[in-house]
Amino acid sequence: MKKNVLLFLLLICGLSFSQDKVKDKVYKKRVLESIEIDFLTSYYNQEGNNASVTGGIGNEDLQDFSPTIVVSIPLSDDDVISLDLGISTYTSASSSNGNPFDAGTNSDKTSSPWYASSGASKVDTWKNLNVDYSNSSDDRNTIITANISSATEWDYESLGFGAGITKLFNNKNTSVSLSTKIYLDKWIPIYPKELDAYLDAEGNTNSGYFANKTIFNQQGLSTNKWSPLKGFGLINDKSRNTYSISFLFSQILTKNTQFAFFIDLIKQQGWLANPLQRVYFSDLDNFYIGNPSSISIYTSKLNKDVFHLADDIERLPSTRIKIPIGMRFNYFLNENLTLRSYYRYYYDDWGINSHTLNLELPVKLSDKFTFYPSYRFYSQSKSDYFEPYDKLLSSSKYYTSDYDLSTFNSNQLGFGLKYVDIFTKFKIWDVGLKSIDLNYSNYKRNSDFKSSIVSMAVKFIID
Amino acid sequence: MKKFNQVKNLLLFFVLVNSSVSCASIKEYEKVNINDPDMELSQRQICRFETNFQLYREGSSGGNGGKVGGGCGCN
Repeated sequence: MKKNVLLFLLLICGLSFSQDKVKDKVYKKRVLESIEIDFLTSYYNQEGNNASVTGGIGNEDLQDFSPTIVVSIPLSDDDVISLDLGISTYTSASSSNGNPFDAGTNSDKTSSPWYASSGASKVDTWKNLNVDYSNSSDDRNTIITANISSATEWDYESLGFGAGITKLFNNKNTSVSLSTKIYLDKWIPIYPKELDAYLDAEGNTNSGYFANKTIFNQQGLSTNKWSPLKGFGLINDKSRNTYSISFLFSQILTKNTQFAFFIDLIKQQGWLANPLQRVYFSDLDNFYIGNPSSISIYTSKLNKDVFHLADDIERLPSTRIKIPIGMRFNYFLNENLTLRSYYRYYYDDWGINSHTLNLELPVKLSDKFTFYPSYRFYSQSKSDYFEPYDKLLSSSKYYTSDYDLSTFNSNQLGFGLKYVDIFTKFKIWDVGLKSIDLNYSNYKRNSDFKSSIVSMAVKFIID
Repeated sequence: MKKFNQVKNLLLFFVLVNSSVSCASIKEYEKVNINDPDMELSQRQICRFETNFQLYREGSSGGNGGKVGGGCGCN
């Protein structure tokens, strides 16, 4: 009898245990239900008059087309892997003037900072692959991520890897994330043509590349006195590595409000200047190739056929510490209106301080369509090493005329329209259309720089 | 040093705000509005392209979930 009671109890326990297991299985929702495919693309256009390749003046026209595909695959109930493959093809007037002497408007084919030449650097394609993996715990309160990335472009290679952990607690009202990312990048340096040629000719401006070129001084008189800054040499450290640690804290405040606080600590090390970017010193004489009668109008867009020979390439410290800190705050105003806000304060040890404010007001037009206008304000102080064209001093250790490191502020207005069908009613075979997102943004600095971008994202679900 | 103190004060401010609010607890069934896709505490996926250009065209980077390295922005 006792044996039977014991067996009965064991059976009950066993059944309860197996039911618990079944129950667990039933209530464990998959992190990602099915395969998702995102097709993203953008067209970017910019205009400006402060090209850094030509020392802080010149044509900054640039067009970029970036198609990208992102495939997210559920490996199990808990694991998801994402493959992100993108290319970015651009045409840049500024980069084309790495060699301004190969196509222009006059007989010796010299261009000016204001006109694109047809050099190899005019067009390029950036190729990128990211692989992200995430694992969520059974209670979905712990998420572990890992990623690896690779990118190449004509003068640059990048290998990145990272990992992170997110913990949710307080009934998933609070979350804390810690992540790290390392990029091991390498320059394949391209130099301004005249500086490269100067080293090839071993400093003889009557031979090699310069043999059939006439160099003029500021007065338009022929001379062979030009040389780069004394001691000029090519870069010896081709690495540019980035190490970052990110901390994120997010909290649900009320049924309609949540916010996140973040701080990153970023350290960059290696050759942080761009070897293609020229600089000109105010305390050294100026020398030109091209049409000497255009020297007096060099800084004007009327100049089509004379080019100022570089004094040096930009040089910047080999380390940089960056600390961005800020928050996001989202408020669900009502069923039709949400406020999304973002603020970031940024500090680095090159002297740049910046403030970024972004506001977005998504308006639900129907259960499928959302219109989201946005506004972004950005303001930065200049780097300690920045001076405009021909204002740098040769006695300085570090110098740049890259206007991306100058003092400026910018305003950006954007509009987006998103279509979402959570039931994916529109289907082609087993592929359902989940969403279409269109976005346009217009960006304008308080200097001579403006840009616009049109982006589109289409998401499909495979059943 | 002054700039470092600014960062320190800002950090202290956020720590204080976080400590004062972290006790809030909203039940799962009360999170209908919080779970709305527009309430996500991250930037929209479609904004990745403009974030990349901002990274190259401005002196600042980081703090937005976007990349902090992995490209030269030479163009």
